[in-house]
Amino acid sequence: MAVSSISTASSFFTSPNFSINLKSSVKSSSNSVKFGRAPISASYATAEKTETIRSFCSNTPSSLYDVLGVRAGADIREVKAAYRRLARVLHPDVGSSDSSADEFMKVHSAYATLVDPVKRADYDRTLVQRRAGGSSPVRFSGGYKSRRWETDQCW
Amino acid sequence: MSQEQVYTVASDSDTTGDERSSAPFPEIAIGIDIGTSQCSLAVWNGSQVELIRNTRNQKLMKSYVTFRDESPVGGVSDQLSHEYEMLSGSSVFNMKRLIGRIDTDPIVSQASKTLPFLIQTLGIGVKPFIAALVNNMWRSTTPEEVLAIYLVELKALAEVGVKRPVRNVVLTVPAAFSRFQLTRISRACAMAGLHVVRLMPEPAAVALLYAQQQQLSVHDSGSEKVALIFNMGAGYSDVAIIVTAGGVSQMKGLAGSTVGGEDLLQNTMHYLLPNMENLFPNKIKSMGVLRVAAQDAIHKLSSQSKVQIDIDLGNGIKICKIIDLEEFEEANKEVFEKCASLVTRCLQDSKVNVEHIDDVILVGGCTNIPKVKNMVMGICKKNKIYPGINPLEAAVRGAALEGALAAGVNDPLGSLDLLTIQVNAHSIGIRANRDSFVPIIARNTTMPARREVVFTTAHDHQTEALIVVYEGDEEVVEKNYLLGYFKVVGIPLAPRGKPEINVCMDIDASNLLRVMVGVLMPGEQNPVVPPLEVRMPTADDGNGLTADVLNRSFGSTLDLVTLHNKMSR
Repeated sequence: MAVSSISTASSFFTSPNFSINLKSSVKSSSNSVKFGRAPISASYATAEKTETIRSFCSNTPSSLYDVLGVRAGADIREVKAAYRRLARVLHPDVGSSDSSADEFMKVHSAYATLVDPVKRADYDRTLVQRRAGGSSPVRFSGGYKSRRWETDQCW
Repeated sequence: MSQEQVYTVASDSDTTGDERSSAPFPEIAIGIDIGTSQCSLAVWNGSQVELIRNTRNQKLMKSYVTFRDESPVGGVSDQLSHEYEMLSGSSVFNMKRLIGRIDTDPIVSQASKTLPFLIQTLGIGVKPFIAALVNNMWRSTTPEEVLAIYLVELKALAEVGVKRPVRNVVLTVPAAFSRFQLTRISRACAMAGLHVVRLMPEPAAVALLYAQQQQLSVHDSGSEKVALIFNMGAGYSDVAIIVTAGGVSQMKGLAGSTVGGEDLLQNTMHYLLPNMENLFPNKIKSMGVLRVAAQDAIHKLSSQSKVQIDIDLGNGIKICKIIDLEEFEEANKEVFEKCASLVTRCLQDSKVNVEHIDDVILVGGCTNIPKVKNMVMGICKKNKIYPGINPLEAAVRGAALEGALAAGVNDPLGSLDLLTIQVNAHSIGIRANRDSFVPIIARNTTMPARREVVFTTAHDHQTEALIVVYEGDEEVVEKNYLLGYFKVVGIPLAPRGKPEINVCMDIDASNLLRVMVGVLMPGEQNPVVPPLEVRMPTADDGNGLTADVLNRSFGSTLDLVTLHNKMSR
């Protein structure tokens, strides 16, 4: 309990703000070679990729379900299929050189939560609370804007 | 790019020469399986993977380099009159077992006693001294140099095979390799004028081949297949568990160990001649004869229950013995147990129940040994080995597939519509809480990955902290591989436990590891000093030596302790 009352500043490098800076620094500084890769098969690249990227980047997705583009009641099979479909487009190994690791990591993290029944149940609970107006009985209130579901489990 | 095609071994400098590499038309990378005992080459020929044969029509070439007066020759082009020639002191082999290891490593000290060339160890945590006998004189070399000489020959062979200059390669590597060892392999490639597109864990290469076969045969793209891959070669063993559907294979677990045919060989030699250490270094010939006899016996015991050994080691030492399967298995009990625990650990890590395994894939020369086969099949509760894969060619074929994938080649038939989502084989973390290893990216984390853990100072008014990065899975920090170290300065004066030292590790898609450290004071949004970003590994060969020196110089004065664990997922 005591430890989790640390301010949000603790997720410094992995906060969304930082990862944007990180992304650009990777490109300029890394001398690991992005092995120039032509886009995947034409039909795939044009139709599916642009669509996925658009829906993905449109704005910050409000839930992990939105990240994967599945409905809230989706079964495991659908979650897995959605993850695979996104991986084939967003994984840095398949993307053209502009696709970054961050996008895939977000998708993977959403998948890892939704594919695990226990984690998913926990997540669903926090989601319901948030939708209900955020009036959760959580005690740490002041200055805690971007609360994450992981930290919410403490009560 | 194509103009520098002179086959020379470049100097062993710190730059790998990777800078100019993005060619406008990416060439298909050649797949290389650089084995402890044998190597092979393969390439995507436009419709399928093809193995490249040498002038003697071999697909598998012995891994060794013979040093002679004029110039060294490797097993790609060389023709041995007899295997004994390889064991006369002038040939150096088993470099994949020795590369990137220090002289306190048990693998190195064991090798120094049994291999028929010079491996001198001082036992202080530095690189061993390796030498070949040329005109009755020990001439020094390094594992990187031997590999580079060999790779130059492979490169020349590949160029004949594909009729164009070759620069890009995909190499398979054991899962057990540390990041430091990976840099040594890249160095050897750079010395040979090759550019490494990917270093793939061997099971990952096999997984790619399997995913391709599944995609071509299974039409329901939603149905998942779970496979366990066990690979045991001369130097290393690896296990991976993969889930494949619709051309995407997700690795669930990956584990590797430095245990292989070489251990079986040494145990068998020991069994035949318990005091064999006394043969070296004066009796290289005898050592060679014993090695060949033991090797031969192991091969025969894969198909027969006993074998007769009758050799003359000179100096009145003769061995006339019948060794049966039971004796062989007893002498190698430990090796088999290590393999079994590797498989078990990987199953546990990946949380896959054996009942859910659809296919068991066995690759590597040692999986031909009945005991190894039975052990893996027994653990997996299966009685049929997956039939579609050639155990000696799977890794190189997978590497060649990756070579085509990485170059963005399209296949109209869709047989290159593949993706492998990999995991890292070892945990990566730092030393903290006195002498503990605190993992930041745990093993079997899907890559690319970024994780962050917050630490704090161990002492009041501590203004500096030493970040020592290790890779491995041992709780005692020194038992892991030291990857590098650096100091964070400018921590504001504060009671201990107050400053927040954010340590973040990032593995990108090309498996590059970066460590980032930022210092924050509670409640503040911006770091007090500019954060540091350090690419790993930075440590040089003296792994053990460096850790000692750091300990002696700083003690616990610059220590860190865990503040809390905020794993971002």
